[in-house]
Amino acid sequence: MNDIAFILIVFFLVCASVEPEDGRSQTIPRSEKNEERNNSQTIEVGLTPATVTIDGTPYHQEQFESRIQQLLSEKKTESERVVVVKSQADVPYEHWIAMTELIEKAGGVVTLLLEEQHTMIVE
Amino acid sequence: MILRRKQLEANVPSMAMGDIAFLLLIFIVLLARARDDSHLVWQPATGTELVKPANQNASVVIDKQNITYLNGRLTLSENLATELSALLGDLPPGNRTVLFKVHKDVIAEFFEPAIEAVSEAGGELHHVLDPSPNKPN
Repeated sequence: MNDIAFILIVFFLVCASVEPEDGRSQTIPRSEKNEERNNSQTIEVGLTPATVTIDGTPYHQEQFESRIQQLLSEKKTESERVVVVKSQADVPYEHWIAMTELIEKAGGVVTLLLEEQHTMIVE
Repeated sequence: MILRRKQLEANVPSMAMGDIAFLLLIFIVLLARARDDSHLVWQPATGTELVKPANQNASVVIDKQNITYLNGRLTLSENLATELSALLGDLPPGNRTVLFKVHKDVIAEFFEPAIEAVSEAGGELHHVLDPSPNKPN
């Protein structure tokens, strides 16, 4: 009986420990802060929970895919293919991952533009 | 008169040994579970062309409640870069994989600082995703 219990518990442990690990690797250069960015050639993608923009122009997802491919095909070097992704604070991860996937498939290198947080004390 | 020497028998109580082994196993399992992240509740986002990571050196989980964990332990996002740097140490490139497991509805306010922290610590980000049902994987 002990042996059976032991084998059963090992079986359940092995089953429970198989976790999914498939996914997508991503190399993210250091994020840029607002004031440090001065390269006008960099493509800037803006994300809100429902929309996506390229340099301020909104696109549907299908249009976005072709537009980003077109823009990145004109870039020759890796530094030119850096795409700055600026997300609103309420953008869900699922939307973010879908859009960055399209950028990377088009040959872009995703980098993040984070808003710097400042704490102001009002007296 | 011949006195026979009393035969001593040394038996191992198999039932008691079994119980001890069982308790030890449960103890080790509980310890192991406290170190991994299998007890955390999160649902992966979907993606295509998914690959398995070559190795795994750390895991960062952001669960349904937007709480960040490093290797199953609760951590603050502002400490994540320091803790990851300590964990990854001087490992060579290619051996600095950080599994990034984020619940699909977590918002950028929480996951972007974590991505930044992985990048700052020199980690190689691997987003753990579910295969997309619509597109071929």
